[in-house]
Formats: sequence, C-alpha cells, structure tokens
Amino acid sequence: MTVQEFHALEVKEDRFWLYRRKLGDFWRLYRRSRLGVIGLIIVLSFVIVAVAAPWIAPFEPFYFAGDPLMKPSSTFPFGTDQVGRDIFSRVIYGTRVSLLIGLIASAMTIGLGSAIGLVSGYLGGWVDNGLMRITDLFIILPALPLMLIMASILGKGIMNIIIVITVVGWTSTARMVRSQTMSLKERPFIEASRAIGSTDLHTIARHIVPNVFPLVFANGMIAIVDAILSEAGLSFLGFGDPSSPSWGMVLHYADAAGSTVNGYWWYIVPPGICIMLLVMGFAFISYSTDQILNPRLRRR
Amino acid sequence: MVMRDYLIKRAVSALVTLGLAIVLNFFLFRIMPGDPTRTVTGDFRITPEVRRALVHQFGLDQPLWVQFVLYLQNLATGNLGVSFQYRGTPVVAIIFGRRLLNTFVLMGSSISVALIIGIIIGTIVAWKRESKFDVSVVVFSLMTYSMPVFWLGMMIILIFGYYLAAIPIAGTITVGLTYSNWFQYAADYLYHMIGPFVTLTLSFVGFYLIIMRDSILDVFTEDYMLTAKAKGLSDRKILFRHAMRNALLPMVSLIAVEVTYLFGGATMTETVFSWYGIGRLIYEAVVMADYPILQGIFFVMSILVIAANFCADVAYAFLDPRIRY
Repeated sequence: MTVQEFHALEVKEDRFWLYRRKLGDFWRLYRRSRLGVIGLIIVLSFVIVAVAAPWIAPFEPFYFAGDPLMKPSSTFPFGTDQVGRDIFSRVIYGTRVSLLIGLIASAMTIGLGSAIGLVSGYLGGWVDNGLMRITDLFIILPALPLMLIMASILGKGIMNIIIVITVVGWTSTARMVRSQTMSLKERPFIEASRAIGSTDLHTIARHIVPNVFPLVFANGMIAIVDAILSEAGLSFLGFGDPSSPSWGMVLHYADAAGSTVNGYWWYIVPPGICIMLLVMGFAFISYSTDQILNPRLRRR
Repeated sequence: MVMRDYLIKRAVSALVTLGLAIVLNFFLFRIMPGDPTRTVTGDFRITPEVRRALVHQFGLDQPLWVQFVLYLQNLATGNLGVSFQYRGTPVVAIIFGRRLLNTFVLMGSSISVALIIGIIIGTIVAWKRESKFDVSVVVFSLMTYSMPVFWLGMMIILIFGYYLAAIPIAGTITVGLTYSNWFQYAADYLYHMIGPFVTLTLSFVGFYLIIMRDSILDVFTEDYMLTAKAKGLSDRKILFRHAMRNALLPMVSLIAVEVTYLFGGATMTETVFSWYGIGRLIYEAVVMADYPILQGIFFVMSILVIAANFCADVAYAFLDPRIRY
C-alpha cells in the first residue's frame, strides 16, 4: 500500500464516520418530534402490510370468494365487491400498488427535478433562463387536468401513470435545487475545487450534491404525498391497470357499483382511510424533517 | 416610474409563459403514437366532408411548421377546432357557455369562503398557539389535506345524500323540472351546489389555514410587534390591525397559485357530483378521447391561470412597496 492509497483510504473512512455522525445527530433530533415518530410508525405499518400481503389477506385479490355486494361479516371484514371479490383482501393488496407507485413516481420526480435544478443553477446564463421559463410554465399549469390530458394521450397503465406524475411534478424540486446550487456556487470551497482543476461534473457530484441533498430529502417526502394523491386520482378516474389494482382503483370500482347512492359504505370508507393515513404519515415525516433540516425553521 | 418598469417586466414574463403554453399545447397533441392527424380530425364521429375541410383548415397534409403557423392563425381568430363527441360542434361554443359559468360560480364561491374562513381561523389559532383549539384545528387541516378530493366528495354524498337525504346526489339542476320564476331556479341551483361547494371549500380551507397560521407566527417575531405591544395597544388591535394585515401579504400570491390547484379540485368534484362544468367536461372528453375539446380547454385554462398570476403580481406590488424597489 502506497502512501497515497493509505491516505485515500483514510479520507474515505473519515467521510464514512462523518456521515454516520450526521445521521446519528439527525436521528436524535428526529426522535424528539412526536409527529415524526407517529408518521414513521404509520408508514412502516403500511410497508409491513404491503410486504406481508399474501399472509395477511384471507383471499387472493382476484378470487371470486362470495356473492356480489355482501355486507361486512366475519369472513369478509369489508364485504364483497360487485363480482364477489373480498374487498378487505383487495385493499391489502392495493397497499403494494399505491405505495410502490408513490415511491417510484416521487423518486423519478425528485431525480428529474434535481437534475434540471443542478444544471440550471450551476451553468446559469441562457440555459438557466430557458429551463426556468419551462419550470414557470409547468408550475403555473393546473396539474390534474394536465395529467389527465397526458394520460389520455399515453393510454392506461401503471408505467404511464408514473411518467405522467413525473413530467408534471418535477418543478418545485427543480426550483429549490436551483436556488440552493446558485448560492453554493459562490462559496469559497467551490472556487477552491475549481482552482485545483476539478471538472464541473466532479464539482457538482462531490461538493454540490451532498450539500443540496438534505433539502431534497425533506422535499422528497412531500413529493411522495403528491405522487400518492395523484395516483389515487388518476386511478379513480380509470387510468389504472386493472390487473394490479391500487386503492384509487378500488374506489373506481366502488363508484362504478354506485356505492354512494346505494349506501355501500364498507366499499368506500376503507380504501379512502388508507390513502388518508398513508399521506398523513408521509406529511408528518416531512414536517419533522423540515423542522430539523431547514435552518430557517429551526430558530423559531 | 419603478412601478411601471415592474409591471412591464411581469407582463413580458406572462406573455412568454403564454407563448410556451401555446407551443406545448400544439406539440402535446402531436406526439401521440400513430397517425398525427388522428388527434385533430381522425375520428369516426366526424363526417368525411367535415374532415376534408378540417384537414385543409389546419393544414394536416402539410409539414409540421406550416401546421404550427396555421394553428396560431386559427387560435388568433378564435377557432379551436370541432368536437368529436358532439359531432362537429365548434369547441369554442362548447367551452364558452353554461359550463364555464357553472365552474366559475362553484370555484369562485368556494375559494372565497375557504379564504375568509382560513384567514380568520388561522389568525385566531396562531394567537392561541399550542392550545387545545390550535392542535385540533391543525389536525383537522392535515386530515382534509390528506384526503383525496374525490373521496371527500363521495363521503359527503354518502352521508348527506344517502343517509340524511339532505342534498341532491348529482347534477346542477333538477332534471325535467319547470320553474315558475327566476327565484325558484336559483334556489334549485344553489340546493344542488351545496355538495360540491362544501367539498371544495373543505379541501382548500385546511391549506389556507395552515399558511395563514404560519404567516402570522412569522410576523410575531418581527420587531414592530414588540413596538405595538410596548405602545400598550390591546391584543385585539395588535392581532387584527398589525399582525393580520402583514400576514395577508403571502396569501395574495397564494390565491393565484391556488387558482391552478382549484382546476384540479374542480375536475374531481365536478366529476363526482356530475356538476355541469368545465371540470366534468375534461373528464368526459378524456373518456371519449375528444382531443379537440381537451386542447381547447388546455388553452383557455392556460390563459386563465397566467392572467391570475399576473394579477397577483400586480396586487402584490401595490400592497408591498418592497417588491417594487
């Protein structure tokens, strides 16, 4: 092992312990926030339900288990739907789809938004100008109607729902990352990095991204909330994939069965409560993370 | 002087955004897989004669840039094409009429009421920070924020329409009813509006409330609040004269942003309640693959939200002199 290699290893190790310590600090602060802990518990419970769905659900989601539109009973806790499938099982399996689409779509939203924000903020000039004009446009346009129009052009299906949510939802991340990048760009350590001849890519990846990350993370929780609600809305309006029904899709079928005008409350209430709880869980987490990571809020 | 420069800057920016919206609107409906003419005329519900006329009018047999120029020309003369589902009725006639009016009535009334309630309750809650009332109001706001709007609408229909039979389940007016006078018509209309109105108001009030509460809490940390207290002003005066007024500033720009969200909420609410408006029209057009209608609505909506944002910028500049300098 040469001296340089040894030194590189040491730096790496330092970095590891630094991140560990930062994470530890974060967790210590986070634990103190009651809302944050409640949110975490809610979200983790849904993750467990999603993972363990085959063991929890009494029936397969597509199995015709009983008569159509039966009231809740001990066999069917939430009754049955219009073709006799167990609604309880469908809601449990729906957790998987709703959670997964929410996570993937928000990850893509954050990814696209961060990339655009980094490029825009770092390069500046006409690139920044052009990109920010497009951002302004997408911020101003009504999200749901735009998503509906795009979905109707692209067609049904989970992949298309994810694409539509991503294309419509990246703007707030992009703006935030851009302003953060612009202020970081002026700091001495970035200048130092440039002075020793680092490439732009290296400077962005090594020095800007790690500093932007905490805010992106806090923002990401709200992106998940938006993605889950958007998915529910699009699926409710009939853009979901019937072979993997989400909670929104269950509500779509509930509407098709005329549940509101016939009083099938057991068909409407459970999926809606699930959406609400999951969204609240992520909103609580977002609130607590924001309190810790956003320096402006910390002093109040 | 400075004010004029600011207004010109905002106006230019609004026009650029509108230009981009028009470009997006053109290309969005031409990136579809398959035949590009399909979205404008290619539908079995359109007769061959009408189709030929449309192909000529929109230059669909021409290169893309010619189509774009023709599209702009048609836009300038108010020609948004013809609808598929209504068998060739001009899009303009379908959008600008009863539906737009119904949507404006519903959106306008619910946004105003939500705003007023949000501002008042938000101010009080901020004053009584961390009291039982504060906590329950914040939890309530979070709940309404976390509910999908369409589900809230469904619950309201279920509870008040089905179980209590207090509100009509769908529609804008009672179908088949003849009215002896104008007043009777208005009463029936308002009766049908209760459901969607309550749904939209509830879905927005929580957000306004939280923002107003936050805004007031921010103002409380300002030095002039201490001055007001030192002057010996009453709590009421401090709260409503000084805190609320200054906290209202961020709300102004929020209203414009909310117009954008309102279209989304209205689409869901109108669909659930079968309200005869633009939101429901979007849903119907999506289901019926009526692309000209969608393109037309997209254009009209863009103009509305851009205008709303411009108005907010102007209002903000009048209210807050710091912006101008």
